Amino acid sequence: MIFQKYSSFLLALIVFAVLFAIGMVSPSMWQPIALIMFYIAMGQAFNIFMGMTGYVNFGYVAFLAIGSYGMALGVSRFYQTGIGLWLLFVGFALAIVMAAILSLLVGGIALRLRGAYFAIATIGVNEGLKYLIEGGKFWGGSEGIIISKPMRATFGRHLANSLSTFWADVFLFIIALLAAYLTFRFMHSRVGYALTAVREDEDAAKVMGVNATKYKLIAFIVSSCVAGLIGATTWCLKSTYVFPEDVFEISYTVEAIVIVMLGGSGTLLGPIIGGLIYGICKYWLAVLLPGLQLLILAPLIILIIVAFPGGIVGVIRERIRGTVLDQVIV
Amino acid sequence: MLSGNLLNGIILGAVYGLMTMGLSLIFGVLKVVNVGHGAFIMLGAYVAYWMFTLFGLAPILSVPIGLILGMALGFLFFYLVMKRLLDAPELSTLLATFAIGIFLEEIAKVVWGPDFRGYSWDVGTLHLPIATIPMAKIYALLSSIAIAIALYLWFKKTRAGTALRCLVEDKEGARVCGINVTGFYALSFALGLGFTVLSGVLLTLFIPVGISPYMGGIYTLKAFVIAVLGGLASPWGAFFGGFIFGLVENGSYSLLGLIPNVEPFSLTQFVAFMVLLVILLVKPEGLLGEK
Repeated sequence: MIFQKYSSFLLALIVFAVLFAIGMVSPSMWQPIALIMFYIAMGQAFNIFMGMTGYVNFGYVAFLAIGSYGMALGVSRFYQTGIGLWLLFVGFALAIVMAAILSLLVGGIALRLRGAYFAIATIGVNEGLKYLIEGGKFWGGSEGIIISKPMRATFGRHLANSLSTFWADVFLFIIALLAAYLTFRFMHSRVGYALTAVREDEDAAKVMGVNATKYKLIAFIVSSCVAGLIGATTWCLKSTYVFPEDVFEISYTVEAIVIVMLGGSGTLLGPIIGGLIYGICKYWLAVLLPGLQLLILAPLIILIIVAFPGGIVGVIRERIRGTVLDQVIV
Repeated sequence: MLSGNLLNGIILGAVYGLMTMGLSLIFGVLKVVNVGHGAFIMLGAYVAYWMFTLFGLAPILSVPIGLILGMALGFLFFYLVMKRLLDAPELSTLLATFAIGIFLEEIAKVVWGPDFRGYSWDVGTLHLPIATIPMAKIYALLSSIAIAIALYLWFKKTRAGTALRCLVEDKEGARVCGINVTGFYALSFALGLGFTVLSGVLLTLFIPVGISPYMGGIYTLKAFVIAVLGGLASPWGAFFGGFIFGLVENGSYSLLGLIPNVEPFSLTQFVAFMVLLVILLVKPEGLLGEK
């Protein structure tokens, strides 16, 4: 029984451990694996909200972006205080806080609305925020923030280098692990049960006394905070700059949707499988057909929705129904 | 200065209204939110651009071409994709229309390249006491109003329009009365997209060098604001919502320009988003919507 409950989570751990080991053994594989981990983590964070509630957050990329701004502001504004490595802590904390505030503002308004209206409310979040930053000319405006200089000044050239080439990716592993753990906890808790009820039939859930808006808001904030952490490490720490045109790029939202739908939304292993396949394909497509990834991805989304709405995990589940493996994959 | 700007806002608002009618029609009949709306506007812009640069055709004359292209795509996407998703959860149609939009943008990028393009159709100017307005925009205003009236009459006076209104009221009832529900869904989807592409043709008269594969995103946002202003399911509300939005946009542009050290153009787009959130918060059924 205990094994059954934890089996999916253990499988996730094994996937992460294998990926980490491959990256450690062969240094040339480290960057491709970092890319795959980015997609896995991004899919997991997206899945916490979309998979659990059945609502699509079309402004998802804005939360990664606000997280990367959090880290950039933390590093560039506080590096002269001489707090050494605590600077990273400040950056991550700011990333979480800013993502939480944004998600509270957006979610507080949008989650009172059902289905389609929610999608409409979120679709403008990333454009709106980008135009606010560019138009208001704060946080560097359209020029963005470059943190390579404060990074070098605080940590020294050597450590600053390894922070962006190695440690940023290690943080990504930790965040992916955190996301898997949060998804797992959610699925086996009051929040998860409530959200499943809401996803299947919102009116029935409300009649049963489930506070739908509250639980949706919890999932929304958690999903956004994890997204903020991903943005902070991959887009800010790793690339050492934040440009609004790059971080508010809507294609990341598309990618998150593809990963979750491909793997199977609402499952723990779905985004991990989806991210793994997607990351490998993307790496391969970028070499084979540069610039045409979205052209191939968009029909893929449609195909999955029409033919396999449950994604890969959904198909596997159908196959193993009634066998011993039935309880393993949740 | 301000009154001239507001007059421009009203003229642009007519095109905005037309731009949103298709979105509202599709939502009103199929209960589908076309998240890829802006991509169809973009297609219309390229229709006008190509017809003008390749054949020297006046943009006003490209309007029927836009309508036909949009309707053809509408029927195609309906029977290929949307028909299979009508009974699926809302999530599916949202994702599908989103993906269709991305797909069209990427095709446009392959065909026309990622750069901004434009053309200028010079047919003189109209001098008014408060402003000087290019005649091209006056033509856009007049044709928007004419097209909106045509749709209104079709909706209210013809047999097909009556059947469609029945369908909106009561789907099962309409089916019992012998109305071909799927056929009318296809027709509404096609008409909605037809009007959207058509509005993209007219929009090019306002954006001299603003045609690019990714121009649609901001118009999706604007169309949503307008649709919500007018009550999401009502094409007529949308048309009047367009005027309000045109006024608010141009008015706020003039006002934001007074603040030093900001970029009024970008902030205007942000204001559009804030208007959306505020309306959704205060009156989700729309300012002009009835409940």
